[in-house]
Amino acid sequence: MDVAIVERGIAFIASIIVGGTAMFQLKNELSTHGLDASATKVLLGLLVIGCFVVLFASINVLGNFAS
Amino acid sequence: MGMSSVAQPSPLLERAAVEARYHNVDALYEETRDMRLMGFVLFLLADCILFSSFIFAYLFLRASAPTWPPVVGGTQIGRLDVAFGSLNSIVLFGSGVTMHFALESWKNLKKGAFNFWIITTTLLGVAFLLGQAHEYTSAPAGLSWTTSSFGASYFTLTGLHGFHVFAGVCYLIVLTIQANRGVYTGSKYFGLTAGTLYWHFVDVIWVLLFILFYLW
Repeated sequence: MDVAIVERGIAFIASIIVGGTAMFQLKNELSTHGLDASATKVLLGLLVIGCFVVLFASINVLGNFAS
Repeated sequence: MGMSSVAQPSPLLERAAVEARYHNVDALYEETRDMRLMGFVLFLLADCILFSSFIFAYLFLRASAPTWPPVVGGTQIGRLDVAFGSLNSIVLFGSGVTMHFALESWKNLKKGAFNFWIITTTLLGVAFLLGQAHEYTSAPAGLSWTTSSFGASYFTLTGLHGFHVFAGVCYLIVLTIQANRGVYTGSKYFGLTAGTLYWHFVDVIWVLLFILFYLW
C-alpha cells in the first residue's frame, strides 16, 4: 500500500479524535475566567482550526496540487 | 551610655521576624501570580512578533517571485510532502491536547494521571522533532537553505519553530521533575499553567506554518 495513503489515513482519524477532544476541552473552558483561561480559550480555538486544516489536508481538499 | 549597652535582638526574635514576613505566603503568591502571568503572556506576544517578522518576509519573497515554488537550475522545486506533513502536524496538535489533560489532572489532584499525560506530551514533542528531521533529510530536490528564497524561508521558520519545540520539551522535563519534587501544590502551579500556554502557543504557530509551506 502506498505510504502516503497510510499517512493520510492516520492523519484523518487522528485529526477527528484530537479535534473533537480539543473542542470538548474548549467547551469546558468557556465557563472559566481570568487571563490564563482567556489565553487558553484562544489557543485551544486555534488548535481546533488546525485540526480542521489537517483533516481537510488529509483528504486532499487542501494542498491538492496534483489536480 | 556606651554602644555596648544597646540590646541586640535574639536569634529567636530574628527568626520570628523572618517567619512573619513570609507568614502570608499564599497571599503573596496570589498577588504576584497575575503579574507573572501577564509577563508570560507578553513574552508569548513578543514571540508572535518574532515569528510575524519572518512570516511577512516570506510573504514578501513569495509575492516577488515570478513562480512559486521557485525555479532552481532550470527545474522548479517540488512541493513538500503534504501527507507526512499532515501526520506530523497532528502529532504536535495531539500533544497540545495531552498537555491540557496534564494540567487538568494536576488541578484535580490526580498526580498519576498528570505524570502520564505530561510524559505523553513530551514523547509526542520528541516525535514531532524526529518527524521534522525526517522532513529535512527527505526535502524535495533543490530545496536547501542556500539555493532559493523558498528554502531559506522554510528552513529558517521551521527551524525557529523546531527550536521552540525543543525548548518546550526541555521545559516539560523540568516541569515533570519539579512537580514530582513537590515544587507545585494543588493551589500553586503557575509553572504548569505557563508550560501549558507555551505548548499551546507552539502548536498554534505550527498551524500557520503548515498552511504557508505545505498547503498554499
